[in-house]
Amino acid sequence: MRYVKIYNEKMQEFLERLKNYGKLYAPVKISDKFYDRKEIDDVKKISFDCLRTIMPAKKFFIPPYEELFEIDIENADYKEKIEETEPFVLFGLHACEIVALRILDGVYLDEFPDIYYANRRKAGIIIGLSCLPDEYCFCNLTRTDFVDIGFELFLHELPDGYLIRVGSPKGHKIVDENPDLFSEVKKEDIDAFKMFEEKRQKLFKYYGSFDNIRYILELTMKDKIWDEEAEKCLGCGNCTMTCPTCRCYDVQDIPDIDGKHAKRIRFWDSCQFRSHGLVAGGHNFRPTKKDRFLNRYICKNAYFYPLGTSYCVGCGNCTYFCPANINFLENLIEIRRGINA
Amino acid sequence: MSNESIYLPRPATIKNITKFTESESLFELVMDDNRPLNHQPGQFVEVSIMGIGEAPISVSSSPTKKKSFEICVRAVGNVTRAMHRLKIGDKVGIRGPFGKGFDTEFLKGKDILFIAGGLGIAPLRSLINYVLDHRADYGRAIILYGCKAPHELLFREEVISWRKRKDIECHLTVDKVPEGEHWDHNVGVVTTLIPKIDFNPSTTYAVVCGPPIMYRFVIRTLKERGLAEDHIILSLERRMKCGVGKCGHCQINGIYVCQDGPVFNYSEIKDLPEAL
Repeated sequence: MRYVKIYNEKMQEFLERLKNYGKLYAPVKISDKFYDRKEIDDVKKISFDCLRTIMPAKKFFIPPYEELFEIDIENADYKEKIEETEPFVLFGLHACEIVALRILDGVYLDEFPDIYYANRRKAGIIIGLSCLPDEYCFCNLTRTDFVDIGFELFLHELPDGYLIRVGSPKGHKIVDENPDLFSEVKKEDIDAFKMFEEKRQKLFKYYGSFDNIRYILELTMKDKIWDEEAEKCLGCGNCTMTCPTCRCYDVQDIPDIDGKHAKRIRFWDSCQFRSHGLVAGGHNFRPTKKDRFLNRYICKNAYFYPLGTSYCVGCGNCTYFCPANINFLENLIEIRRGINA
Repeated sequence: MSNESIYLPRPATIKNITKFTESESLFELVMDDNRPLNHQPGQFVEVSIMGIGEAPISVSSSPTKKKSFEICVRAVGNVTRAMHRLKIGDKVGIRGPFGKGFDTEFLKGKDILFIAGGLGIAPLRSLINYVLDHRADYGRAIILYGCKAPHELLFREEVISWRKRKDIECHLTVDKVPEGEHWDHNVGVVTTLIPKIDFNPSTTYAVVCGPPIMYRFVIRTLKERGLAEDHIILSLERRMKCGVGKCGHCQINGIYVCQDGPVFNYSEIKDLPEAL
């Protein structure tokens, strides 16, 4: 892998130059508690210590609402609305979110590629950024705390700048076209990188691995913890909307007011909604809140074969944004009590 | 990568409509581009009615019928109700076929016990007719078909023709016979037919299609008759929105019913929570 360094003094210019490669989106503080990834005009507003945004990066590739077809009802005619996506730059993605996009790639590109997603993915430039975990993070347990591919550049914090891993041809291009911004990595940078990684590992609340958690979960599905926790749940779906890998969507035809035209739209759906498990005739495969509650735990911890990880990337969003204070991580820790890894 | 979207239906025209009951009709469709559907028995298509929406519906005809295909539609949701308002010559959109159908190669030489409940006859008929069109390749063909009441019997004429054939056995039942209706056959749920027939559990495969509640009872009764779990094949129902493993509506644990199914061997899914 190619490594370069950037000094803090040059970061502002670097962020400015990123705009040459596409519309720049980066985390910005929007309230006391929350950040959002917004289009950046003034690069000084970019937050470097944002751990999670209110909407995960999936929204840039699978928008919450999108029009698939324009329909001419009278002539039963329809045409697709596939548009070329202008290049855009997502700055400040952490490892978990980059793995999350790789999981979405597996779903959206591996078999029956989704052209809408593919176009956006091709247009997106990913600039990763290292982070220090808070009490919600458990990407170490899901083995998604470090990412090998899926980014153009990945910036690792150093005392006086960043060590950059160059991860793609586009990443090389950015480095090659801006030689004035980057320097060689020195011995003290490598030491600082190692120290950062060590410090980072020590900040996680739990150690070990969640590789076995999906089986423990299956074996403890009848435990009363699930009744108690499901009882707290409001069924609002925040956990799935803020999850970087949740991707259930619904499709509907929405007629215009004249009744002659319609749009086929798709929009985010959630397995926490009662309608999700409904089939024709009114049978519901997940009739109770507990069924829906457990479904999310099972689905998130299911094995994602192409990557060898679970669908959960350990970001902690579902817990952080839960209005009922349901703690995904602590619930999983609770059921595997007895394993002191 | 092709620029053709997986969500774009191909137009098809309704060639014929056979009304079975107040809410169920059989629609014969021809693809406008004349490319055959090329489906396997047990697969499904996504049917679009523009401006109303799209719904997953199993193909009811055998692929041996090449120039057109049939779907049996119960008017129960937005799309299916709109479907019933269409006339011969009207157009619908078709995507698919999707999923894994019945393994017609594997079943060769085996005795097949078809068990259908209600609308479950629709997907099962694609396999029944396939087997009848290749009759010599298969062993015994036993059909058990149950519905709620005599007037709800689907494919009535075809069922009568099956009963007349010497090379198949066809047994019918209804849950009850309302006053004023005539019925010469068994009364009781479809499971009550199972003890009445003889079959060899080692050579027989049961292929089961019906409402979710039926599966539990049928499977229990089949096992009581000595049928091994891996000799039970069934088709699962889910509200597949995309058919291509994306929308998540048919996901059970790591399995996508639209891709890995809808046809499953019972032994594959029996330990999967909420599969049945």
